Amino acid sequence: MEGLGIHLSSLIAQLFNFGLLLLLLYMFAYKPVIKMLDQRAAKIKESVDQTEEIKKQHELAEKETARLIAEAGKEGKKIIEQATLIGEETKQKAKQDAKTEAEKLLAKAKLEIERERDEAIGELRSAFADLTMIAAGKVIDRSLDKEQHRQLIDKMLNESKVLNKN
Amino acid sequence: MAKKKGCMGCSLPIAIVVVLAVLGISVVSLLGGAFGNTLFGDLGLPEWLSVPAPHPELPAATIFHIGSIPFTNTMITAWITIFVLVAFFYFGTKNMKLIPGRYQMIIESIIGYILGLCVDIAGDKYGRKFFAIVTTIFLFVIANAWISLIPGIGSIIVHTADGEAELFRGVNTDINFPLALALVSFVFVEYWGIKTLGIKYFTKFVNTHKLTSSIGKLFKGNVKAGLAGIFYGIIDIFIGFIELLSELMRVISFTFRLFGNMTGGEILLLMMLFLAPFLLAIPFYGLELLVGFIQALVFSSLTLVFANIAISPTHSEE
Repeated sequence: MEGLGIHLSSLIAQLFNFGLLLLLLYMFAYKPVIKMLDQRAAKIKESVDQTEEIKKQHELAEKETARLIAEAGKEGKKIIEQATLIGEETKQKAKQDAKTEAEKLLAKAKLEIERERDEAIGELRSAFADLTMIAAGKVIDRSLDKEQHRQLIDKMLNESKVLNKN
Repeated sequence: MAKKKGCMGCSLPIAIVVVLAVLGISVVSLLGGAFGNTLFGDLGLPEWLSVPAPHPELPAATIFHIGSIPFTNTMITAWITIFVLVAFFYFGTKNMKLIPGRYQMIIESIIGYILGLCVDIAGDKYGRKFFAIVTTIFLFVIANAWISLIPGIGSIIVHTADGEAELFRGVNTDINFPLALALVSFVFVEYWGIKTLGIKYFTKFVNTHKLTSSIGKLFKGNVKAGLAGIFYGIIDIFIGFIELLSELMRVISFTFRLFGNMTGGEILLLMMLFLAPFLLAIPFYGLELLVGFIQALVFSSLTLVFANIAISPTHSEE
């Protein structure tokens, strides 16, 4: 043992040196460095997680946007279709209305024409009666009782088929 | 990149001068060292050129006493190592930032390397518990080895009460230091074994379980199984004895592996300087740098592996 140089005092001193170094390095190296390494690892993990989350959210938003656009397109199509339908309906209705109005006007015009014709016929009739009376008076040179005469003519006219029609 | 003119980045005249200087130093080195003396006799070269033959002494020399406590030259070097290591880490960890600078990155990669080793071998839970001791062993051994290569360590002579002695000497070459580390390693391993496995830890060394149960079988009438069991039980006890022995042998192997490698390296360097004072020793300095690293790694990772074996449950429990 002497030849190798083993001494109890040196051995204890070296053990003490080791302990001292362990303590000092623990204080100044291991604790802060491991803390920092762990902190950085946690930070990196957090960042990666955050990125993942953002990516996910982005994807979700993209999907939502696409869905909204598709929906809006569909909605727009539907509105256009509806508008077309309404327009068509309005057109049809307007057409219908115009037709009815026209028919009404036509009927009214017809009625008016008929009325005017009747009036004309009436006038013609009375004028004809007067004329006939004058002519007959001239022919027979005697004045028939005017009242009697008219009755006679009316009777004849009523019997006449041509003028009675209409 | 444009091709540089000349040789090895120097202009041609400078390169020639360098080569001539190297050749000259080599010749002087060979002539001035033991080679030259043996081959050509004393050429009358100045005395400072030759290096005396090494007379290695294994015990460390005492430099001074405080009271009755002797302080050896290896103690002084150990303090220097401690001071250098603590200063290196103290200034590196003073202002730690999340985004590290170069200095911080060096420190982090050293610590991170050994932490990674611990976690790889012993798992995250125990790796972190073993880390402090394992790293301190690694750093202490490698710093001692490398610091002892600095010129001045081993060549500054002081006069002490016991005669002439080197002021500084590589700590690893004082057997008390490897022995102290081996004892630390031993106590550390046994502590974790007992702490983790409790009383079961000792069944590795004293394993009578199979023997007693086989004797029981024998009495119950199962002769064949009982006899075979007794045979295996005796083997188990023998293996336990070997385990115990190997556990104790570790201290010795730890001590002499480090002590032998480091002392041998130092003597090798001194021999080379003695043979040829200049240049020849340079490759061996490189070799010693590598040996210092390897010994530090071996010492620390063996401690780690032994601790990991100690906390693993033994197979005999099955």
